Amino acid sequence: MKVQISNGMFMALIINMIYAKAIGVTQGSMAREVGGDIWISTLIATIQGGMIMFLVIFVIRRMPEGDLIDQSARILGKWFGKLVALITFIFFLAAYGPVMSTFVFHLKDYFLPEAPILLFILAAFLLGSYAIYFGVEVIARMALIGVFSIIALNILLMLGSLSEFDIRELRPTFQMGFLRTVWASRHHNTDWAMATIMAGIILPMVANKETWGKMGFAGMGYGMVFIIMWPILEAGVLSPETTAQYIVSCMQMARSAHIGYFIHRYEMIMVAFFALSILTQIMMSLLCASVAMQKILGLKDYRKVILPTAIILNAFGYWINFDKNRAVDFLEGWWVYISIGVAVGLPFLILVMGFFFKKKLKKEIVAEEAK
Amino acid sequence: MKRYLNGSLLLITILLLTGCAGKRELNDLALVTAVGIDKGEEENSFKVTAQIARPADARGQTGAPSGQTGEPILTIVGQGESLFDAIRDLSSFTTRNVFWAHNQVIVINEDLAKEGIAQVIDFFTRNPELRMRTWVVITPEKASTLVSTVTGLELIPGEAVNKLFRYGEISNVAPNTQILDIQSAYLSQSSQPFIARVTLKEVMVSNKKPEKGPTIKQVDLAGAGVFQEDRLVGILKPEETRALMLFTERLKSGVVTTPCKSKPERTISVELRDQMFQVTPHLKGSQISFTAELDAFVMVVEAGCSFSIDNQEQVTELEQAVEKKLKKEIETTVNKVQKEYKTDVFELGKVFHNDYPGYWKQIADDWEEVFPTVDIKVSVNVEVKDSVLLWEETNSGKKENSAN
Repeated sequence: MKVQISNGMFMALIINMIYAKAIGVTQGSMAREVGGDIWISTLIATIQGGMIMFLVIFVIRRMPEGDLIDQSARILGKWFGKLVALITFIFFLAAYGPVMSTFVFHLKDYFLPEAPILLFILAAFLLGSYAIYFGVEVIARMALIGVFSIIALNILLMLGSLSEFDIRELRPTFQMGFLRTVWASRHHNTDWAMATIMAGIILPMVANKETWGKMGFAGMGYGMVFIIMWPILEAGVLSPETTAQYIVSCMQMARSAHIGYFIHRYEMIMVAFFALSILTQIMMSLLCASVAMQKILGLKDYRKVILPTAIILNAFGYWINFDKNRAVDFLEGWWVYISIGVAVGLPFLILVMGFFFKKKLKKEIVAEEAK
Repeated sequence: MKRYLNGSLLLITILLLTGCAGKRELNDLALVTAVGIDKGEEENSFKVTAQIARPADARGQTGAPSGQTGEPILTIVGQGESLFDAIRDLSSFTTRNVFWAHNQVIVINEDLAKEGIAQVIDFFTRNPELRMRTWVVITPEKASTLVSTVTGLELIPGEAVNKLFRYGEISNVAPNTQILDIQSAYLSQSSQPFIARVTLKEVMVSNKKPEKGPTIKQVDLAGAGVFQEDRLVGILKPEETRALMLFTERLKSGVVTTPCKSKPERTISVELRDQMFQVTPHLKGSQISFTAELDAFVMVVEAGCSFSIDNQEQVTELEQAVEKKLKKEIETTVNKVQKEYKTDVFELGKVFHNDYPGYWKQIADDWEEVFPTVDIKVSVNVEVKDSVLLWEETNSGKKENSAN
């Protein structure tokens, strides 16, 4: 039987896929460019992400039984499909670098500074490979619980930091100008890019195709609500300059939060509650890369390529994160261009190709349905 | 095959899940509760004094249980060219792993602070072990002496300083400065850091020689040090610090004592309850000015002369006297900081930036020179709203009878 996930699970996957990196690593990058306007850049990126999500859902709806790769193969043949699969694989390979940066920087820098990076890579390799062996449904169920931990973390952090909040740090708006604020949103666009390309791979598995759009936007809306609190609090409590100082500004925020005198240093609370989100990012990146690899090789089941895919992705994750300068340079440089290029370019290319080869696509779909 | 694969995977996972990587056993740790930083004996070097708790002796008993030392703390000193170097030096003679996560206070000697504390800010905000809400104080004493002085009811000096700040909100004699606040002020384009100041003061009476009066030194909150970037440039006395705190914190209370109009040798005290302090920037041409307005509801907590809240004349007189005193207090501090120390610890640059972002861009780089020239007008409005339990004046009944 074909694996299916509910629309709620799809929404949870979107939220988790964005959250872990967006609340800290992304905000630090944006704060270095626009200071206290990070919350505005976050909002702008969400709108841009919404448009790309709309594009992806629109494209997949034309052929709901196939993902972006399948549809490409139908439009321009097997080799074009393989090319799209290769681009998708490269996208998730590149995505794995910043995902592992988020994972490693949170755990190693704040908890286990003496542990080797290899330990975190191995843990991600084992957990990720094990989870995706059981398929997207298992990860999606976990993501549902992840949404509740995100809510718990947000509430706790709000309670622990509102007393120190200074609204003056958020004023005046557009300090660096409107265009620079929009330009800084590219860092958060990379988070949305992961969610949209993931949607392009897993949408055919989502049960009720009539509500895809609605659920996709609901996921983005909730994602935005859960994330936007962070840049506002980071700027208002830590100050924009302090937020910009750190690679993982959310952990710095957690270190500074306290409820009364006895509940303080939220690092442990933070990691416990955001773990499911970062694990979802690891697992979904591995899963989508494996699916892409399967389609490059023309296999029927992605499980056969889990191990080689996981080895390639984790080797890359290790190489990138072994040098912190390389890791930050990559996530603020190359990754921005790769992610936005693919997230915008690929669905748009398939949309345009589908428009030109409309008749062929329709014929293929009818033939498929007749089978 | 599948069974072997699953088995191997399980074994590897078990190895990873032991949690041994980077582990630290509790009984292998030396828990630092306060750290003092002085200038080292050699030029450009640091002397770090760590106050380490002895858990067995710090259980709340002041006497020495059998087999133990009776000393709740161990104070050790390390030296080095950098703070990290000095801290590494500590580990050459401590039998346990020095652990900083429970550090409550960082004490910086004023001689060192005058030369700059950028390195201190960097070290303590870079280190993942330390709390961002750790108190930071400066002291004219040797930091090593202050760190090892047992104060108040606490056995551990670091804990004592922590509680001085936690429960010292009512005295308003030193600001609550934490490492996070100092870091953000230091990184800020406009604001300058300030740090609470503590001294050692003979305030404790020995139980063995009570006739000698207070002879034992205790840690005392004693104003604030104001900084220009990372260098200490001036000191605000305890009585001047409340005005600074009005600009930078939300004060919950405060006491003002004024002489009675009818009997100047006696005093009347009011407690400030609800205080609203607002700073408004103004820009006229290129002239920058600020209005600082304090509105406070007060209650009369002690009267050395006749006073009844029902007597409107007495109430108005008292309100005017308190307003005058508060205004003078604020103006004195503003004047000192603005004209003498020339450093914006009041966060006025930030306030101006919020309201006039366009003009701020023109003056941001020169704010240091502009700040001493801006006009700051202070206005205070006080309303007596309560006299606690008493309604009638506290007058001698006999005197009243004799008057009758």
